[in-house]
Amino acid sequence: MNSLLILAQTDPQLWASRVTGTWSLTMLLPILLGAAAYLIIQEGVTRGLRWVLLGVLCLIGSIGLAVTFIPTSLDAWILFLFCSLATGGGVAFLTAREPVYAALGFATSVLSTCGVLFMQSALFIAAATMIVYAGATIIIFLFVLMFAQQSELRAYDVRLTNPYLAAAIGLIVMSSIAYCVTADGAFPNTKRDTTRSLSEAMSMSSSPDGLTLPAEVLTSNTPQATSGLGRSLYTDYLIAVELAGTVLLVATIGAIALATKPTAEAN
Amino acid sequence: MHDSTTQNLLVFAGLLFSVGLVGFLTRRSLILMFLSLEMMLAGVSVNLIAFSKHYGNYQGQVLAIMVLSIAACEAAIALALVVSLYRRKATLDVKEWGDLSETIVPKEVETVGSMETEAPSFPTLTPAGLDPLADPVPSEFKAELGAVPVIIDKKVEASSNV
Repeated sequence: MNSLLILAQTDPQLWASRVTGTWSLTMLLPILLGAAAYLIIQEGVTRGLRWVLLGVLCLIGSIGLAVTFIPTSLDAWILFLFCSLATGGGVAFLTAREPVYAALGFATSVLSTCGVLFMQSALFIAAATMIVYAGATIIIFLFVLMFAQQSELRAYDVRLTNPYLAAAIGLIVMSSIAYCVTADGAFPNTKRDTTRSLSEAMSMSSSPDGLTLPAEVLTSNTPQATSGLGRSLYTDYLIAVELAGTVLLVATIGAIALATKPTAEAN
Repeated sequence: MHDSTTQNLLVFAGLLFSVGLVGFLTRRSLILMFLSLEMMLAGVSVNLIAFSKHYGNYQGQVLAIMVLSIAACEAAIALALVVSLYRRKATLDVKEWGDLSETIVPKEVETVGSMETEAPSFPTLTPAGLDPLADPVPSEFKAELGAVPVIIDKKVEASSNV
């Protein structure tokens, strides 16, 4: 309840000086509430609108609780908006019984994720994700869904496989991820140079622990431009790029071989 | 204290991964299972890019591009597989393809409350010409109009009339 008490404070100084990023059991609250929202909505889709509204309220409450754990800069608010949109799209994807609506929920989720990536200065990946996932994958799968869909809902779309057990598993996974990420010393706080070998990095560093680089080196290294990514991709990772191209070619051939109708003599 | 943006993003990545996991466990349509797999991959990409920003280099972004291209391959192959599976059984239900599962596990009976449409049962009549006691009604016999072709043997009728 610590976070709730802090939320109630109106003092902006106190608001800004909140300690974020240390694990506390109150972090379980929004996770639990989110899981409950998922279960209520997925029951409500077949029962009635009232249950769905209740579940959406639960989800909004969960998001509101999660707000108390983030710092309050404008950046963080926009990031949080994208994250909650993505989560809402994900819940819609999980609970919608019409496959087309589920695919649209997935598209919402992926587009919001692209916004998150955009804010992490990964412009090229945001654009590529938009094209590959939201463009190609969703459209093609919508085609297949409509090709396979009948006028009425199928039983396998209405009946989920044991949603309560799945929600429990997801709850455990999510809680353990949140714990591991927010525990003290979960990942190094300082920025380290991982582009060089260890000995080289240690030789050019003057910091006591040997790996932490001076700030001016890091600011010159900070990825900001897509051109730097391209240069890195086509110099340091050239073989990986070629291999990825080969895998794409093989996958194309395999997909064509699998999807064509078998000829009469093959049967 | 940690860099809180990185931390928030890691939690968000875990959230996307968990949503994808729950979707993969609950959904039964092959395509929607595949889409939840893609959502798990999106969570992994967010994770990689958060660390790329945190460490200030391009390694995470390069790895995310690799994940993206492999996901595209996977989408192509999975779509081809789904189409060829659909051609065989005309259903997207994943449980239809559980032929390798244990035979002692009883098959789950589909009971969908609102969707259930029972086939109406009609009273069966013994077809003409069969003794109802001595000769049980053949199982494939359906008491519907026109289910049993009635052959009118005109010669027999004519002879019996005479």
